[in-house]
Amino acid sequence: MSEETIVGTNAPRVDVRDKATGQAQYAADIQLPGMLYGKVVRCWEHAHARVKRLDLSAAAASPGVVRVIGPKDVTAKRYNSSVLDLMVSESMHDMLGDIDDQPIFTEHVKFQGDAICGIIARSEEAAERAAAKIVVEYEPLPVYLTAEASRAPGAVQFTPEKPGNLAFQLPEAMFPNHALGGGDVEGAMRDADIVVEDAFYVPKQKQCQMEPHAYVAKVDSGGRLTCWTSSQMPKLVQRKLAKLFDLPMNLMKIVPTVIGGGFGTRLGMISEPQACAMALAVPGHPVKLQTLREEDWVISPSRHPGKYWMRIGFKRDGSPVACDARFENYKGGYYLDASGTAFTAGAWLGGMYRFPALRYRGESYFTNQGLTGAYRGYGNPQTNFVLEQLIDRGCAELGADPVEWRKKWHKGVGDDGWCPGVTYPSCALDECLDRGAAAIGWTEKRRKYAKQEGTIRRGVGVAVMNHTSGAMPMLLEHTACTVKLNEDATAEVLFACSDMGQGSHTALKQIAAETLGFPFEHVQLSSGTSDVAGFDIGAHASRTIYVGGAAVKKACEEAKRQLFERASLQLGVPADELDIRDKRIFVKADPARGIQAEAITRAGVYHFVDPMTGEPGGVPGQIQGYVSFFAPHNSPPFGASFAEVEVDTETGEVRVIELVNAHDIGRAINPAAVEGQLEGGIQQGLGFVLSEEMDYDAKGRVQNNSFTDYKMFGPEDMPKITTILVEDADPVGPFGAKSVGESGLVSPIGAVANAIFHAIGIQFTEAPITPEKVLKGILEKGVRNYAAIRRS
Amino acid sequence: MKNRDITLHINGEQYSLNVAVNRTLLDVLRDELGMTETKYGCGTGECGACTVLVEGKAINSCLTLAATMDGKRITTAAGLSDFGRLDHIQQAFVDEAAIQCGYCTPGMVMKTASLLAKNPDPSEAEIRHALEGNICRCTGYEKIVKAVKKAAQTMPGRATAVERCKEVVQ
Ligand code: FES
Ligand code: FES
Repeated sequence: MSEETIVGTNAPRVDVRDKATGQAQYAADIQLPGMLYGKVVRCWEHAHARVKRLDLSAAAASPGVVRVIGPKDVTAKRYNSSVLDLMVSESMHDMLGDIDDQPIFTEHVKFQGDAICGIIARSEEAAERAAAKIVVEYEPLPVYLTAEASRAPGAVQFTPEKPGNLAFQLPEAMFPNHALGGGDVEGAMRDADIVVEDAFYVPKQKQCQMEPHAYVAKVDSGGRLTCWTSSQMPKLVQRKLAKLFDLPMNLMKIVPTVIGGGFGTRLGMISEPQACAMALAVPGHPVKLQTLREEDWVISPSRHPGKYWMRIGFKRDGSPVACDARFENYKGGYYLDASGTAFTAGAWLGGMYRFPALRYRGESYFTNQGLTGAYRGYGNPQTNFVLEQLIDRGCAELGADPVEWRKKWHKGVGDDGWCPGVTYPSCALDECLDRGAAAIGWTEKRRKYAKQEGTIRRGVGVAVMNHTSGAMPMLLEHTACTVKLNEDATAEVLFACSDMGQGSHTALKQIAAETLGFPFEHVQLSSGTSDVAGFDIGAHASRTIYVGGAAVKKACEEAKRQLFERASLQLGVPADELDIRDKRIFVKADPARGIQAEAITRAGVYHFVDPMTGEPGGVPGQIQGYVSFFAPHNSPPFGASFAEVEVDTETGEVRVIELVNAHDIGRAINPAAVEGQLEGGIQQGLGFVLSEEMDYDAKGRVQNNSFTDYKMFGPEDMPKITTILVEDADPVGPFGAKSVGESGLVSPIGAVANAIFHAIGIQFTEAPITPEKVLKGILEKGVRNYAAIRRS
Repeated sequence: MKNRDITLHINGEQYSLNVAVNRTLLDVLRDELGMTETKYGCGTGECGACTVLVEGKAINSCLTLAATMDGKRITTAAGLSDFGRLDHIQQAFVDEAAIQCGYCTPGMVMKTASLLAKNPDPSEAEIRHALEGNICRCTGYEKIVKAVKKAAQTMPGRATAVERCKEVVQ
């Protein structure tokens, strides 16, 4: 296939020895001299209220307290904790209507956990004790938990900028009739032979990254504010905080820490503004802000829940004629990410099948639920649950095999991807479907389980997905990277994008070593701090390898070009006739002729003039490769998932027996890391479809903010997993790689729902499909053999 | 708040401390001794990130009051390794790519140590059962289970340990 020796191998992870012994430093592990401890006092009893009275005096007098700060003690400016607004042009920003509506400390509580004031003390206990002495009186306001409630006439307005509490809808200027798509949907539906339609509900899922959010912030004597944070987007957070606190960016420094899982929750900021506000109140002292788990649960943004309606029309021959959809999602109390998910849910829908006519409308309404923002998949899981079930309902009515139907109608090379005008450069979904079907025993099991007796029923289901590799063309895709060659011909790569634990730094280092022709061990990669590293948009949209990897590759190619140029002078052979392996540059046609890279790098740095002759030795100057890289394209990955489930029709329990994830990832730079992404994705996808949802009481208070009450799949719940990496090198991605970070989570959702349909003949329109819902469905509709539903 | 004088034997070293009676072992390890290899994930005994060994048995240090640990032998993830040399469990986690963000890892490693001490040859079902109290959100547990299997196979003195366990069972 290829001659690479480092790319494509399971090179050892760069950070795991420290992680295995616990020496890796997460934000909460940081201890600095003179450190103080911050505590944000939050509103726990109300999800919607006005602060009538706030008295900080008793807390300020509490032992060990250094300062107490409230709304009046901090900037009156508001912010938007998401960073989407920085990734689009100003005109696009205005068109989307992104707003800054979050105060550091609020006087209008919009969700449970909203920040009221902050305490800075000499110990965590002292801060806790003082928090209990804050006197705050509230005027409760009506609590709106759904879009219906918050848009009702007379509802309290969350912000004057968004009348009717409509945070976002696809803007008319870009999407005529506020709809994404094109073609005559109504006409096509009239001509359809079969129309399937339903109203769904998609759940509010929590990222549950294992490291609760923590920060340290400090103002030094030069007035520079430093924030240690595990944000996925250190550079954009730098700009956001600089703007919020009126600092030039050089006085706002971000130190990225090791990240204990992200899954979207660290996309942008969470409590960085509060941590920095506290540090500004006590210049010279570092302030640590550690979020408790139960606190993290309510304050960090979760997946957008909401109502998702869809109808799809087919011709009798199976061809799809139109798809019409509307996703009405429930924001939390603030705007962040209101535009993103409402758009992308439709974008993935548009990228999946060749619908001649498509109309997708997406809207976000403020509610008093906890915040919603980025979560791995970013709108795709919601669409997968709805679209893939309706496709299977259509297949049942058409008498079509769900695998064959998908193979026939999915989009592929040359079709528009998730964003019109950006076509798919590669697509190996057919191979994913074929290999996945073979792995699960599709044909045989589909036949076998179509007719069953007894209380325990089995089923197999399939679902497919497309995702993205970076966010081009909707969002800025820019990464700067510097590679510096040391005098001993080792390389140091500086690249601001964080590794969230997915192993991206290892894969990037593989790309660097492969490109340079240096051994893996002779390359170091670091994300540096904001004052040292160049610009990078951050780790989101599964972009780190596809975009970041391409940037690293380009910077290394530039360093290699300089190296070859100097070698060419020494060897008297044009640079394009040279190659490098293991740090030895040689003439391709005559490999015996060559020079060690070290001879060149050393002479470049230690450029002595010969005292005898007065002649310099070699070419002077340390070699550095630099690139400020803008992704030219977007090569989305595809995936097919197959699930086998067992449904207990007496208890309603669904057991997932096997899950096959077959993914077209272009090229696996580090196969073990890629598998790890797909396997971990399955655990979260299964949670979405079967067990995970944040519950609120009527007053908008979270009922299950703990690992006992919020049910994730544990080691014993996990099915047998089969991961199939389909490697069909993409023509654009570095070494053929596309993305993998988010996609593993997506199609297991539809596959499990469709397997349940196959097992008991019932589709469920509300996720997660809990035993209670299964029993209710069985009670209302009765268990049916799949064979009886199929019309043919 | 009352305080108590205690002695802890942590990773082979002796520490004499005066601790508030309401301080958890996790807080004492992290905040007073700076041993941050033991992680805080929930503070309520639900995630296993804070797992340490007390007299060889895995416990959640967030639920354990330090004052009740007087005279006890405590091992943390840093105690398994010897200045950068990983023990066989940690090495197995590295080799099997069982570590992603790594936040659950110290707890997972300690839980594995206690499992293998009791049961040097666990079945896959026994491994999964033993790990139920330790949450990982990154890996889907797939490679962690493989790592525990490998750790069992590479355990020093494995043959004798397996024999001994068989005798106990018989
Ligand atoms: S921190 Fe102790 S079990 Fe979670
Ligand atoms: S590796 Fe991230 S939680 Fe386990």
